[in-house]
Amino acid sequence: MGCSLASRLVALQKEIKRNHDPDFLFIEPSEMVVTSELRNVAAMGRRDTVYDIGPFITLVNTPVFEAQWQERPALLGGQVAGADLVAASKVDLSGTEQITAIAAQLGRAGGIVALSTTADRGIRQVLEQLINGRGAGF
Amino acid sequence: MKIVNISGMRGCGKTSLIRTLIQRLGARGMRSAVIVNEDGEAAYDPAFLQNHVVAAEFVRGG
Repeated sequence: MGCSLASRLVALQKEIKRNHDPDFLFIEPSEMVVTSELRNVAAMGRRDTVYDIGPFITLVNTPVFEAQWQERPALLGGQVAGADLVAASKVDLSGTEQITAIAAQLGRAGGIVALSTTADRGIRQVLEQLINGRGAGF
Repeated sequence: MKIVNISGMRGCGKTSLIRTLIQRLGARGMRSAVIVNEDGEAAYDPAFLQNHVVAAEFVRGG
């Protein structure tokens, strides 16, 4: 992430806090951004503004995970590293064994959330993390 | 305000998850805002933004 983009994100975070102060500010970055960069940006804004840094959630696309892991391991690994919660998305299109294999491949012995917005799976777990959980490292 | 980051490759369902979470939180009386990279802008239609978020910003390259 470049300096100008990071600065823009920090400015927007602070602007939204000051002008609207929502309960939650969701950030949806492009696929090229990794979790450590987002953590830095979130932390920068707290130098002069008060807000909480919630969970960093990384989604992995279950049906195509294997191919993406083969093709772009550094990028996918950078998104997963440091995430508070990893969810295997679109599980309605895949089998249980795929989810288990992804958890093992990513080294998340604690498990990952099986998620499907279509089938309403895993949403409650994510909501629980948002409302009652805390982001790690802050 | 709590900042929540949802990361992942293109097409992994980030927008669908965020939209679902915003709607569920709204049903509990909680207010949400979004900062979205411009690739995902089309998935946030004006009606959704008007009805469910207090602020929406779209950033180039983000």
